[in-house]
Amino acid sequence: MIVTLIRTLIIFITLIVIMRLMGKRQIGEMQPFEFVVTLIVADLACIPMADVSIPLVYGVVAILGLFLLHEIMSLLEHKGNFMKFIISGKPSIVINKDGVCLSELKKNDMDVGDLLESMRSMGYFNFDDLDYAIFESNGKLSALESDKDKPEKTGMPLLIINDGKADKSNLEILSLTEKRLSELLAFQNAKIKNTEVMTVDENGRTYIKERNKKYKILTLPVKEQAV
Amino acid sequence: MKKSLIAIVIIIALLTAGGVYESFFITKQFKEMNNTFTALYDKIDKEDAVEDDVIAAQNKWLEKKKYLHAFIPHGEIKEFDLWIAESVILVRDGKWTEALSKVEVIIELTEQIPKTFAISLENIL
Repeated sequence: MIVTLIRTLIIFITLIVIMRLMGKRQIGEMQPFEFVVTLIVADLACIPMADVSIPLVYGVVAILGLFLLHEIMSLLEHKGNFMKFIISGKPSIVINKDGVCLSELKKNDMDVGDLLESMRSMGYFNFDDLDYAIFESNGKLSALESDKDKPEKTGMPLLIINDGKADKSNLEILSLTEKRLSELLAFQNAKIKNTEVMTVDENGRTYIKERNKKYKILTLPVKEQAV
Repeated sequence: MKKSLIAIVIIIALLTAGGVYESFFITKQFKEMNNTFTALYDKIDKEDAVEDDVIAAQNKWLEKKKYLHAFIPHGEIKEFDLWIAESVILVRDGKWTEALSKVEVIIELTEQIPKTFAISLENIL
């Protein structure tokens, strides 16, 4: 019994350290690989903890291995959008200003009932309560409420620059090129590589956060170029 | 990013060092046990082994198994204990043929157990 207690203690401390290193996201909203890690880690911890015929090192090594995989996955995710898409998938816009997008729902193996259920849990009961609804890659629904009095007021921001790199697919949606983006930024004395975050919505409302500077809200002339 | 890279390097270093150490340690321990029990086998074969010879080999095993517990499933260690204990009785009673077969199993185990730690397809599958 004492042996089991000591083994439990060692595994518990190992798990606490690993969970702390993985960060708060691991406990709340999880990416798919994080969810897998969480599922496996529980079993890996329990088996050597309860079965005294298995050396403890087997459990510790397996948990360390999982942590190693988790860190490698996280690093790969930050390498670029392609790797992020491969590892975690991408957000899916299931409601836009034209209404419910069934093809996007089907791509995610969902139907309108699932969407309604997720909306109700957020306090929305009608599809027209929302201008946009997005199923994030962690499975959570994010919603942008519609302003029925001012239908033009809301617009979904697209991530244009992420950590000094332009997102080509989002630029395409706004009919912008990297060259044009550089020109627009040059008016603000900014450069792509020095910009940490830049989002633009369809109304041209732009959020720019340059390195070591306070963010700025601007209106860029992008709507005119939109397809 | 920096923290992740440091963590990855440290864990890879730890696991690699641990894996290499485990491989060398287990191979060395079982090689020694193999030599001990091969010598005992020859003595039993010549029918000039005494109970103390087997007990000496048993004590050597008991000393080593304290550390082997960290790496080897305890069921396999128990198997060793049982075969050696049986050999002690058989040598004491002069049952040479039965003692030889027991020691042969022990020698086989000293050869097979380290193989289960080798990086091979059969072990991975």
